[in-house]
Formats: sequence, structure tokens, C-alpha cells
Amino acid sequence: MTQPLLANYFPILVFLAIAAGIAVAMVGGSVLAARQKPYAEKVSAYECGFEPFDDTRRRFDVRFYLVAILFIIFDLEVAFLFPWAVALGDIGWLGFLSMMAFLGVLTVGFIYEWRKGALDWE
Amino acid sequence: MLTIGLGHYLTVSAILFVLGVLGIFLNRKNVIVILMSIELLLLSVNLNMVAFSAALQDLTGQVFALFILTVAAAEAAIGLAIVVIYFRNRGSIEVEDISTLKG
Amino acid sequence: MNWTLVLPELVLALAGLAALVAGVLPKRDTSFAINMGVFGAMLLAAVLVMAQPEGTAFAGQYVSDAFTRFMKLLVLAGAALGLLVAMDWNVKEGLAKFEFPLLLLFSSLGMMVMVSANDLIALYLGLELLSLSLYVIAAFNRDSERSAEAGLKYFILGSLASGLLLYGASLIYGFAGSTNFDRIADAVSATEGVPFGLVVGLVFVLAALAFKVSAVPFHMWTPDVYEGAPTPVTAFFASAPKVAAIALLTRVAAGPFGELVEQWQQVLILASLGSMILGALAAIGQKNIKRLMAYSSIGHIGYALMGLAVGSDLGIRGLLLYMAIYLFTNVGAFAVLVAMRRNGRALEGIDDLAGLGRTDPAMALAMTVFMLSMAGIPPLAGFFGKLYVFLAAVYGGYWTLAVVGVLTSAVSAYYYLRVIKVMYFDAGEALDARPTSLSVVLAGTGLFTVFFFAFPAPFLAAAQAAVAALVG
Repeated sequence: MTQPLLANYFPILVFLAIAAGIAVAMVGGSVLAARQKPYAEKVSAYECGFEPFDDTRRRFDVRFYLVAILFIIFDLEVAFLFPWAVALGDIGWLGFLSMMAFLGVLTVGFIYEWRKGALDWE
Repeated sequence: MLTIGLGHYLTVSAILFVLGVLGIFLNRKNVIVILMSIELLLLSVNLNMVAFSAALQDLTGQVFALFILTVAAAEAAIGLAIVVIYFRNRGSIEVEDISTLKG
Repeated sequence: MNWTLVLPELVLALAGLAALVAGVLPKRDTSFAINMGVFGAMLLAAVLVMAQPEGTAFAGQYVSDAFTRFMKLLVLAGAALGLLVAMDWNVKEGLAKFEFPLLLLFSSLGMMVMVSANDLIALYLGLELLSLSLYVIAAFNRDSERSAEAGLKYFILGSLASGLLLYGASLIYGFAGSTNFDRIADAVSATEGVPFGLVVGLVFVLAALAFKVSAVPFHMWTPDVYEGAPTPVTAFFASAPKVAAIALLTRVAAGPFGELVEQWQQVLILASLGSMILGALAAIGQKNIKRLMAYSSIGHIGYALMGLAVGSDLGIRGLLLYMAIYLFTNVGAFAVLVAMRRNGRALEGIDDLAGLGRTDPAMALAMTVFMLSMAGIPPLAGFFGKLYVFLAAVYGGYWTLAVVGVLTSAVSAYYYLRVIKVMYFDAGEALDARPTSLSVVLAGTGLFTVFFFAFPAPFLAAAQAAVAALVG
């Protein structure tokens, strides 16, 4: 608490520097080492089928909503899995079985959405 | 020398909370904005929880924050689903159109 | 770890998971079997609740005593009756999906967690399990614009209330140093004075819970949601969740914050007065009977809160009895509304009841009993509910509450009597034949309402034990 304010944020600066370094290395490495042969199909958008630079207020398929909704539920289990995995040595069988029960509940949810056809695109 | 203490966190969180409430009441355009305001409310509470947890040297606040995150995700999912069926029936999610029920 | 303490909740949770898989795996329609299974699970849970040992579990987060037993039995009864009322309606409206009983089951589980919560985290999780189920169930008729709008409104305002509750909980946690109700009680009764933040947190939590029980000034969602949601869903909304939220409010106010009675008493007195007055006045001009029942339920919550606002053991006992009587009377009245159907179309106007006294005398008689009971006419059950809370207010010296209560009862009698007048003195066509399940509910709740005066002793004893367990 006695450190100056900025010193507290030094790790973030290091993190930013490393991130920038890795990004430059990857893009630069690809420019230097790979063959460059662009054509229209190759440089067009591939992210979810949208133009990367376009009006953001356009309509898109309602099915994306469904995928998003299902994703929100299932990605958060990781928020529980990480602390659990780190502390597994200390929490014993009760901790282990609690997580198994939690995953069991998730599995039931997964069976439900699978049988309901929520995972089929068409 | 400036150090960030509990009071600063509580202030930020209070500002975020008020912004969230205002976002719900003053917003006259779009229901999605309301959903985002609700998330803002819950996140401001999380900030409070984590700040108190650090100040009290007590883990309960962080556990509570994890639970709030999870429930907020479930709430967002249900909110989106309801917005989708509302849109299917109504063809609009303008806030001013939500007025069939009156008396 | 005391697992037997949470046996009813475990049974409900496992039954819910099993029913979810059993409902979705077979190709054929499973809704009727799941309905029956969920009904059975609720009855089994109720039996287990009666045999539930007393004590705390999960490091003091979960408590079981006479108070939780009383409230859980009410909640389970409300949910089971809600399911009975809904079954036939769902078939007729094409809503017979197995998710409906499951949502009722999960909301009952949430309510049981709420009732037993002895920690802010357990409180929050129970409340959210209930609320999330209710949001979905309000919008259950996906093809109806009104149902979707009811779900959307309920979701937005309900989430706002959850946000308020959480903000209050975070302040309470920060200034009391713990989320456990017993630790909070220690912090509140500390000799060096109560931190201001704790009081602010309490006000936030009270506001959120007032929203959940739809007390003035947080009532604005009630009429819209009650009107838009499918009628059996409204029947459920007006019964079990209110009981559970009142239980939670009572536990929070009388338990950890029992020492701060002067602080929360003011808030509750205002909420009670406002609810009674609004419930009496706003219902007068209504034409839609679901809206009328919405305002009537706001009024009833006002009477119930009077018991808590008085702040005495007698008042809390009155509150518990009031909720028990309100639950059964209300379910009965809604069973009549669910039966209102002519040529296959569901009806919601008060005028549509016209001529019921001639075309279906039994149902008209039952509705008369429920309406008179809600108006507080002796010797029906509703009279005793009001008597207990009014007496508590008078003994406590809260004359304003008691006088306003009597006056608003007299005003509200006007619109209850209007329903009776429409049934007996206006001419109208016959309704469709009512299904057996509704007749069973009508007979059961009707007999309870009429003959409560003959055997109030067991209810009084149970409520007395509940208060003793709560106040200690």
C-alpha cells in the first residue's frame, strides 16, 4: 500500500509489452516467411460470415441468438472449474464429488438442449 | 502519494450502479440497452463484493461474486430468450411499443 | 454435514433433473406423465418437510425450524394446487408441454431455499431460482403477444429488484463483515452503534423484497404481469411466491435485523398503508377480472405487512395466518377464473361471469365464498386473517394502521360484492363444463374457507410455534 500508484500497475505494462511483442512476431513472421498470394475470395470476411467493416446496425439471423444464449450458460462453468482444479488437493472427496454433481446437472441441461434440437443449425 | 482504497472502489461501484438504474428508467429506445443496464447493475455489485472482500480479508465476498456472475449469465440468457419471443410476436423491441397491457 | 436436513430439497432437485431427462428423451408426448410425477414429488417433499429435523446445515447457511416448516408446507401446497389448476387449461390452450410442471417444481425448490436461507448467498440463490422460473413461466404462451410482454416486463423489473437486493447485500456484507444472518445479527447488536452502511443496505434489501411481494410503491408491474400471463400462471404468481417472499422478508427483518426494528418499521408501515389504500381504490374501476385480482392481491399484501410492521410476536403470528388463509382463498378464486371459458375461448372480463348463479350454482357459490372471505365477512376464513393482524395492530398501539385497514376493507368489499352481483343478478350464457381437477380444487379451498372458524386451533398452534422459532 505504500508503493506509488503507478508502480502497482507495472505488471500490466509488462503484460502489454509481451502481448504486443507476440502479436508483432506472429504477423511479422507470416509476412516474412509465408508466400503472399491474395485474391478476392481469400481476403474477404470469414468471421461468422460478416463483413469486418460494415454498418453494425444490420440484422442477422435469430439463430445466432440461440447459439449465444447457449454459449453464455456453458462457458461460465469454467469460472467454477478453474478454482476447483487449483484447490482440488485441499478440498478432498467432498469437493471432488460436488463438482461431479455440478457437471452432472450441466450434462442434464446439455441432454435437454440436444434432444430439443437447439444444436441443429437447420 | 495516492493509493486506491476501499472508498474509491465503492464510489466507482456506486456510480456504475446509478448509471445502470438510470439506463433502465431513462432509456426510451431499445430493450437490448435495458439488458445491458441490468448487466451493469450486477457488475457494479460484483465490484463492491470484491472490494469488500479484499478490505475485510474474507473470501466470502469473492465466492458471492462468482455466484452473481453465474446467475447473471442465466438471467441474461433468459432475458435474451424473452426478447426474442417478444420480437417474434411484435416485430419490434422499441421500449415505447411495450404498452399493450394498460389499465 | 447434515444431509438429512435438506432431504426435501434434494428430493425435489433430483426429481426435477430426472423429469427433465425423462420428458425430453422419449419421442411421444410426455406432459401428462411429467405432470403427475411432479405432483407426486411435491407431495413427497411435503411429507419429508413434516419429518424434517431442526437445526442448521452447510456451515450455518441453511436453517430448518418450525417457521421454515410452516412456510414450506404452504409453498408446496400453493405449487401443487397451482399445478392442478393449470393442467386442464394447458391442454385446452395447446400449452401442454412438460416444461410447465418442471418450471413450477424448480420455482418451488427456489422458494424452499429462500424460506430456509440463513445466509445472504443462499437467500440470493433461492430468490433467483424462483425468479428465473417465474420469468419464463410468465412468457409461457410464446405465441401470445400479451404473454410475451408480461414476461418481458416482469423480467426487466424483476432484474432491477435483484440488482437492488444484491447492492444491499454487498453493503450488508461489507459493513457487517459476514453474509451469515447470525453474524449479521451480532454486528447489528454491537454496542458501539450500527454502521450507517448497514442501514442503507437493509433499506435496499427491503425495497427489493417489497418488489417481490408487490407492495406499494414497488407494485407497478403487478397488474400488467397478472393480466398478460396465462391465467393459471397468474394464479400461481399470486399464491406461493408471495408466501415465500413474505417468509423471506419476515426472516430478514425479525432475524438478523431484529435489533433495528425502529429503522425498518417506518418503511413497512408506509408500504402497508400504501398497499392497502391502492389495493382498495385502484381495483374499483377494473373490467378485467385478472387486473382486479392483481389490485386485490396488492391490498392483501398490505394487510399481511401490517402484521410485520407492528413488530410484535402477535403481529408475526397474524401475518403467518393471513398468508395461509390468503393462499387457499386466492387459489380457489383463481380456479374459478381458470374455469371461465365459453365455446372453447378463455374469458377474462368481469361481465363474462354474468348469470353464473343460474347456469352453474355450485361454482357461483364457491366464488361467492371466496369473494366474501377476501372482503373479510365473518365467519369465513378471511375475516379471521384480518382479525388477527388488526388485533395485533391495536394491541401494539398502531391505531392508524388498524383504522386504515378497516376502512380499506370496507371500500374493497364494494368490488368483491360487485362480482357477486354480476353472477347473481345479471343475465348471461352458460360457461363450458368445468373439468374435474378444478372442481376438486374449488371444493377443497371452498371447504377450507367456510369451515376455518370451526378448527382454527391447529393453524394457530403451528403459527405460534413458527413465531417462537423465529423470534427465539
